[in-house]
Amino acid sequence: MSETQTKTSYTIPIGPIHPAVHEAIRLDVSVEGEEIVDVDVVVGQVHRGIEWIGMNRNNPIQSIYLAERVCGICSASHPFTFVQAVEQAAGIEVPQRAEYIRVIVAEMERIHSHLLWAGVAAHEIGFDSVFYLVWRVREKVMDLTEYITGNRNSKAMYQIGGVRRDITEEQFPRIREALEYYKGVFNQLKTVFLEDITVRMRTKKVGILKTEDALRFLAVGPTARASGVPKDVRQDYAYSAYADLDIKAITPDVLTGTIVGDVYDRIIVRLLEVKQSIEIIERCLAEMPPGDILSEPKIAKLLATLKKAEGEGVGQHEAPRGEVVHYVRLQAGQETLATWKIRAPTYANLMSMPTILIGGQIADVPIAFASIDPCMSCTNRAIVVDSKTKRKSVLTDKELHELSVEKTRRLKAKFDNH
Amino acid sequence: MEILSPEEIVESFKTTLGGDFIDSRIYQREVAIKKNLFTSIWIQVKREAFRKSVEHICKLQEYPHLSVISSADREDSVELIYHFTIYYGHHLKALSLGLRLSLPKSDLKIPTITDIIPGAIFTERETQEMMGVEVIGIPDKRRLFLPDDFPEGVYPWRKDETGPHDMLRVLPGREGIKNE
Amino acid sequence: MSLNSFKRALWVYQLNTGSCNGCDIEILAALTPRYDLERFGIVLVGSPRHADVLLVTGPVTRQMAPRLKRIYEQTPDPKVVIAIGGCGLEGGVFYESYNLVGPIDQVIPVDVYVPGCPPRPEAIIEAVVKAWVKLEKAAEQKVA
Repeated sequence: MSETQTKTSYTIPIGPIHPAVHEAIRLDVSVEGEEIVDVDVVVGQVHRGIEWIGMNRNNPIQSIYLAERVCGICSASHPFTFVQAVEQAAGIEVPQRAEYIRVIVAEMERIHSHLLWAGVAAHEIGFDSVFYLVWRVREKVMDLTEYITGNRNSKAMYQIGGVRRDITEEQFPRIREALEYYKGVFNQLKTVFLEDITVRMRTKKVGILKTEDALRFLAVGPTARASGVPKDVRQDYAYSAYADLDIKAITPDVLTGTIVGDVYDRIIVRLLEVKQSIEIIERCLAEMPPGDILSEPKIAKLLATLKKAEGEGVGQHEAPRGEVVHYVRLQAGQETLATWKIRAPTYANLMSMPTILIGGQIADVPIAFASIDPCMSCTNRAIVVDSKTKRKSVLTDKELHELSVEKTRRLKAKFDNH
Repeated sequence: MEILSPEEIVESFKTTLGGDFIDSRIYQREVAIKKNLFTSIWIQVKREAFRKSVEHICKLQEYPHLSVISSADREDSVELIYHFTIYYGHHLKALSLGLRLSLPKSDLKIPTITDIIPGAIFTERETQEMMGVEVIGIPDKRRLFLPDDFPEGVYPWRKDETGPHDMLRVLPGREGIKNE
Repeated sequence: MSLNSFKRALWVYQLNTGSCNGCDIEILAALTPRYDLERFGIVLVGSPRHADVLLVTGPVTRQMAPRLKRIYEQTPDPKVVIAIGGCGLEGGVFYESYNLVGPIDQVIPVDVYVPGCPPRPEAIIEAVVKAWVKLEKAAEQKVA
């Protein structure tokens, strides 16, 4: 093992990557031999100035559609949080039926997002066929989203004071049929992801985040829950229809009895949350109250109310990746928002990244990084600088991905030879 | 750790901070069919008592959750709000606690809290680059979101002369938004 | 437009210049068995030096503009550039932000535009086929 410390600069393949999806984040990783000793996270490539646009150009209703495009995968979470904050600031009531519809749309998004992540994680380990199969299974919930909201991705369901479209009784059978399909498929997913020998070898004891570190670095979402911290906004805060539903935060000891905080635990948490989402949607359909869906249907009147309103509000929601927080302040006489602050969950989880990667191997970097489910796409380019001779060599994305797949092959061969 | 009611929490701040405590507001709202309560507390303190307030929050719950630091340009002062969540992990008992401070624009400095809460580093870096507030003792001074070739002294969230008015990307053939 | 005379497989390289990821997800969904781009012989590659078609998404942020230019220059001729999504066309909803350098055609020349926020996978497949036809025509004119 050589003694030189080489500084390598990786931009890691995370997010949907077949093959390379390009840069929104950069990790500078320092290695000694095969072991990682230091990690630096450089962000900012996707900064579009959304808060500035909301404070200077848009009225609050236009900002809902702007908030939808903060992230294309969790595109129902940001408007959900934003309208809660505005309703607190302006004192606008929300009808009970609208609260239940909001929860149904948010849970459908959680199913789609976790299945997307499962396919990506399988690709990182080298199981491309599983990637294709899981994304094919995901198409059912995309069709359901299109049936209810009109679009696969940017759903535009949320409005200040309620929702824009109703879910009528005629639509219920189609929703129930999709949920039955997922219940049937769930056991197969569990077998493939949790009981396969190769998956266990690649993910157990890899990318560990201890409970204490998760608390100090303010991790949120499945990343925190897999390390034993029971933080779940749906369980802790009383907001929207979740307050009626008694949600419990899922930690991996529900299935295995212990908490390790590695990648395997994160897979457990996400798969069990898919099951939980199916149950939540069924309860919402069964208990949906009748009534209006919007407290103020006329948009001109709504805008006039917002222009006169003065106050501030904080909205929270548990997106598939963790807690989303929006803070809004409205000032009387001003049409744009006076203050708007967004906090997406991945920026909280990125601070735990150095702790997760240090002490591991280079070949584990793709799967460990993908396990926090970063909501950004990434580049693949690795520049290895030999500090003694100052010679640069470039590893392409294919080579980095190959390192990860090669490790899988080695482990599998070792197991098969026993 | 015992769970205090919102009024008891405000009283404990008044006792600990004495004269540095300025104002408080409790907001509660009933939610959905079962009418559970959503609570948020807003406390305003003097800037000298800032670190003492954060240490007091750590006594309410051992590892309080800091969501984000929001900042607003209020003409001659900058208002910072630290959004905390306490009592997470308990069913429907979490509270949102907003700690508000006002800094005059002539002296925009605030001490860091990364020694108490290491996870505050990203949001402190963002406040530094976007609002121009200097965080004393911060372990990593680099910019977070803005590119390195963005001019110094231009702060995107400010509404005064240091705002990003000259940096806007107006498409060819269009006029930009009018600044009053 | 008949599809029975493609003489070669098409290699595609995808680049995200700061988008919200919505368009990227729809590009990847176009590869899955339901829409199945690969049955036409279309393959995603990992390096711009092997690519015939560049799929670019996102409004171009300041940090990504030099990288976009470099990748365009690394791609060998003949090449086609497809701008996907509303952000690439005119900046989309972000059109006046302080961190944008401009929609894609202010930085590199674009051949096919796909509107939508995000566009459906079917629209993306149609765009790639149009690009393919354009490439074939360019190759024929060179030979003639």
